[in-house]
Amino acid sequence: MQIETMLTAVDWAVVVIMLPLAGGIACFLWPVMSKQLGLITVTGIALSVAGLGWRIMEHGAYRHAVGGWGAPLGIDLFADGLSLCMLIMITTVGLGISFYASSYFESRRAVWFWPIWLFLLAALNALFLSADIFNLYVTLELTGLAAVALTALTGRIDALNGAMRYLLAMLLGSLTYLLGVALLYHDAGSVDIATLAQRIEPNATVWTALGLMSAGLALKTALFPLNFWLPPAHASAPAPVSALLSALVVKASFYILLRLWLEIFGSFADNAALLLGLLGATAILWGSLQALCQTRIKLLVAYSTVAQIGYLFLAYPLASGSNDMIWSVAVYLAFSHALAKSAMFLATGNLIQFGGHDRITDLDRAVQRLPLTVAAFALAGVSIMGLPPSSGFTGKWLLLETAVTQERWDLALVIIAGGVLAAGYVFKVLGYAFTQAEKPHDAKTVSASMEWTAFLLAAGAILLGFMAPEILTLIRLDIAVNIDGKAV
Amino acid sequence: MMPVAIFDAVLGAALLWLAWHALASPDLFKAIVLFVSFGLLMALAWVRLDAPDIALAEAAIGAGLTGAILLATLAKLQTMTGKNTFVLSAQPAFKSLFLRGLLIVLLSGSAAGIGYAVWVLPSNSNGLRLDVAANLDASGVSNPVTAVLLNFRGYDTMLEMTVLLMALLGIWSLGGLPPRPRRPAAAVLDIFSRFLAPVFILVAAYLLWVGADAPGGAFQAGSVLGAAGVLMLLSGWRPHDRFTLRYLRFALTAGASAFIILGLLTMLHQGQLLAYPPAQAGTLILLLESLATVSIAATLAALFLAEAPDHTENQ
Amino acid sequence: MNHALLYALVGVGLFLLGFYALIIHAHLLRKILALNIMGSGVFLVLVALAKRTHDAYPDPVPHAMVITGIVIAVSATALMLVLLLKIFAKTGQAALSDRHKK
Repeated sequence: MQIETMLTAVDWAVVVIMLPLAGGIACFLWPVMSKQLGLITVTGIALSVAGLGWRIMEHGAYRHAVGGWGAPLGIDLFADGLSLCMLIMITTVGLGISFYASSYFESRRAVWFWPIWLFLLAALNALFLSADIFNLYVTLELTGLAAVALTALTGRIDALNGAMRYLLAMLLGSLTYLLGVALLYHDAGSVDIATLAQRIEPNATVWTALGLMSAGLALKTALFPLNFWLPPAHASAPAPVSALLSALVVKASFYILLRLWLEIFGSFADNAALLLGLLGATAILWGSLQALCQTRIKLLVAYSTVAQIGYLFLAYPLASGSNDMIWSVAVYLAFSHALAKSAMFLATGNLIQFGGHDRITDLDRAVQRLPLTVAAFALAGVSIMGLPPSSGFTGKWLLLETAVTQERWDLALVIIAGGVLAAGYVFKVLGYAFTQAEKPHDAKTVSASMEWTAFLLAAGAILLGFMAPEILTLIRLDIAVNIDGKAV
Repeated sequence: MMPVAIFDAVLGAALLWLAWHALASPDLFKAIVLFVSFGLLMALAWVRLDAPDIALAEAAIGAGLTGAILLATLAKLQTMTGKNTFVLSAQPAFKSLFLRGLLIVLLSGSAAGIGYAVWVLPSNSNGLRLDVAANLDASGVSNPVTAVLLNFRGYDTMLEMTVLLMALLGIWSLGGLPPRPRRPAAAVLDIFSRFLAPVFILVAAYLLWVGADAPGGAFQAGSVLGAAGVLMLLSGWRPHDRFTLRYLRFALTAGASAFIILGLLTMLHQGQLLAYPPAQAGTLILLLESLATVSIAATLAALFLAEAPDHTENQ
Repeated sequence: MNHALLYALVGVGLFLLGFYALIIHAHLLRKILALNIMGSGVFLVLVALAKRTHDAYPDPVPHAMVITGIVIAVSATALMLVLLLKIFAKTGQAALSDRHKK
C-alpha cells in the first residue's frame, strides 16, 4: 500500500524528461565524473519508466498540462500504450548501450559522449511523451543535433563527412515538417494533436500539410528513396553510436508519422498509405540487395537497417481495411529491430576492436576467439531474418498473415524475399567468421562487459518473441479507444 | 493604401532577389554580404507583419550573429588556403541539365501546390489569439509574445535552451582547429570594443527589462549581450584561467538549469511542470529571463569562437 | 489580395528557392546558406498567415514559435560551419566526397 502511494505521488513522465536533462548538464559541469553521472542517470530513467508503466497499466492513458494551461494554449504531455512501448524500447536498449559505452570510450571521448547521449535521451523521451506538433519539432531538432554530434565524435574524415550529410538531411527534414506544421496550425488554430484530430477536415491545405510532414519525416526515417544519408552516417560512427542511431533515433520520426496517422490523417489518406507501403516494399528489396553487396560489416548492417525500416511501412497499406491490429505489429517490429540491430552493431564494434578492421573476408576465425560476440551477431541475425522463435519471426509472420488474408500477394512475396535476402547477408558474415584469413592479424582484447552487452541485447530480441502477446496488448492499450472515440 | 501595397510588393521581390543572388553568386564573400542584407530586409518584413519581437531577434541573431559567424568561417577558410579571395566557379553537384530541369519542374509543381494551400486558407481564423488574450493577465507579463515564450509554451523554451547548449557541446566535442596566426587586434577595433561593450550591456539590460510589456526579452537581450562578447573576442580577449573557464560553464548552463530547478519547484508546489503561481509569475519570469539572457549571450559568443577554450591549449 | 498573403507566398518561394540551391550546389557553405533561407521562408509563412485576419494585433503564438525557430537555426548553422571547417582542414575541399568508401 505504501509503495503504491509513493508510486502515485511522483509524476514519472516528468522525471523521465527532466532527469536526463539535469544529468546532461551535470556531466557538462563536472566532466571528471561524467561516466558515473551518466550511468546513474540512465538507471534512474529506467526506474522512472517502470513507474510510468505501472501508472498507465493501472490508470490508463496519462496526460499532463505543462504550465497548468492545457491544450490548445499550453503544451500537453501524453502517454498511452504506444508511447510507453517506445519508452521501454529506449530504456532497454539505452541501458545496454550505456554499459557498453562505459567500457568502450576512453576518457578523452567519454567527457563528450555522456552529456550528449543524455541530452539525446532527454530529447527522445520528450518526443515520445509530447502531444504537440510544434513541441515535436523542437524535440526532433534536439535529437538531430545530438545524433550528429555523436556521429562525428571520432573526428575521422569519413565520420565528419557522414555527420555533415546527416545534419543537412536532418535539417531539411525538420524544415519540411515545420512548414506542414505551419499550414496545419493556420488551418485548425492549434498544434495540439487531440485538438487537431477533432477539427481537421480533409481539404487542400490539410493534404499539403500531410504531404510536407510525411516527406520530412520519411527523410528522417530514411525511407527509400530518401535513405542516402543513413549508410555513411551509421557506418562511420563509433560502435555504440551506430547502435543507438539505428536502433533508436530512426524510430523517433517513424513514431511521429505513426502518431499523426493514427490520430489525424489515417481516416482519409488511403492513397498516401498505399504510396508509403510501396516505398517500404522497395526499401526491403533494395536495402537487402545493397547489404548483400557490401564488403564491410558496418555498411552491411547499416543497409540492413534501410531494409528493416521498410517492413515498418508495410503496415500502412495493410491497415486500410480498418485493421488497427497491424499498427501494433509495426511497433512491435520496431522494438524487435531495436534490440537486434543494437546487438549487431555492438558485436561489430567488438570485432573491429578485436581485429582493427571490419572487412568481412578477413574475419579470421572470430568464432573461436570471440565466441560470445559471434553468437550475439548470429542470434540478432536470427531475428533479422525472421526465424522462429525470435521476435523478428513473430512480427513478420503477423505481417505476412495479414497480407495473405487481404490477398496482398505482392506484399507477402516481398516479406518472404526480404527474409531470404537477410539470411543471405547474415550468413555471409557468419561464414567468414569460421574461416582463416590469408594473412594473420595481431588481435586486441575485448572487454567481457562489451561482449556480454551485445549478447544480452541479442538474447532480448529472441526473448521478446515469447512476450509477443503481452507487448501487442500493451501497445494497443488506448489506441483502440482513440479510434473508437473518433468513429463515434 | 497604395504606397504601402507598393512597398510590400517591392520588399517581397527584393527578398526573393537577394536570396537568389546570395545562393548563386560565385564570390562567397559577396554571397555572405547578400545573405546578411537579406536578413536585414527580413527584419523589415517582420515589422510590416506587426512582429517587432521577431524583427529584433532577426536583426540581432538572424542577420547579425549568423553573419558574423559566416564571415569568421570564411576568414578561417581563407587562412587555411592562404588565398585572400574566395571566388568559386559555381560548381554544381548536379551536372546533368536533364536532372536540373526535372528538379525545376518538380519544384514549380510544389510551388503551385503549397501556394494554393496557403491561398485557400479561411481568412476568419483567430488561431490562439483569443486564448492568449484571455489568459494574459494571469501570465505575469503584458507582452503576449513573452507570455507565450516564457509561460504558455515555456516548456518549448526550456528545450530550446538545451538545443543551444547541445550545438555548443557538438562543436566543442569536435576539438580545436589547426592553429592559425593570431594577429593583434587593430587599435581602432580595440578602442571601438572598449567603448561599445558597455553600451551593448546597457541595451541588453534595457531589452530584458522592457520584454515584459514591450518588444524585447531574453532572446533579444541575450543576442545583444552576445554581440558584446563577440566584439571582445575580436579584440583578442580569451577566457584563460581556470576560474573564468569554470564560471563560463556555469554561465552556459544557467538558463537550462533555471528551467529545471523551477520545474522541480513547481512540481513540488503545484504538482504541475512549470506552472507558476499567478502572483509570483512576473518575478519568476524575470528571473528565468535574466538567467536565460546570460546563457544565450555566453553560448552565442562561444558559438562564434567555435572551439573549446580549455581544449585549445592542450592540443 | 491582402499583404499578409503576399508575404506568405514569398515565404513559400524562399522555401523552394533554398531547396533548389541545397540540392544543386556542391559547396557546403552554400548549402548552409540555402538551409537558412529555407528556414526564413517557413518562418515567413508561419507569421504572415497569422496576420491575414485584419485585426489590430496578430496571433502571438506563431511569433514565439519563430523566435524559437531562429535560435534553433543559429545553433544548427554554427554546428554545420564547424563541421565544414573540419572537413576542409582534412580534405582541402568544402564539399562532401561523392561516395562513402566501400
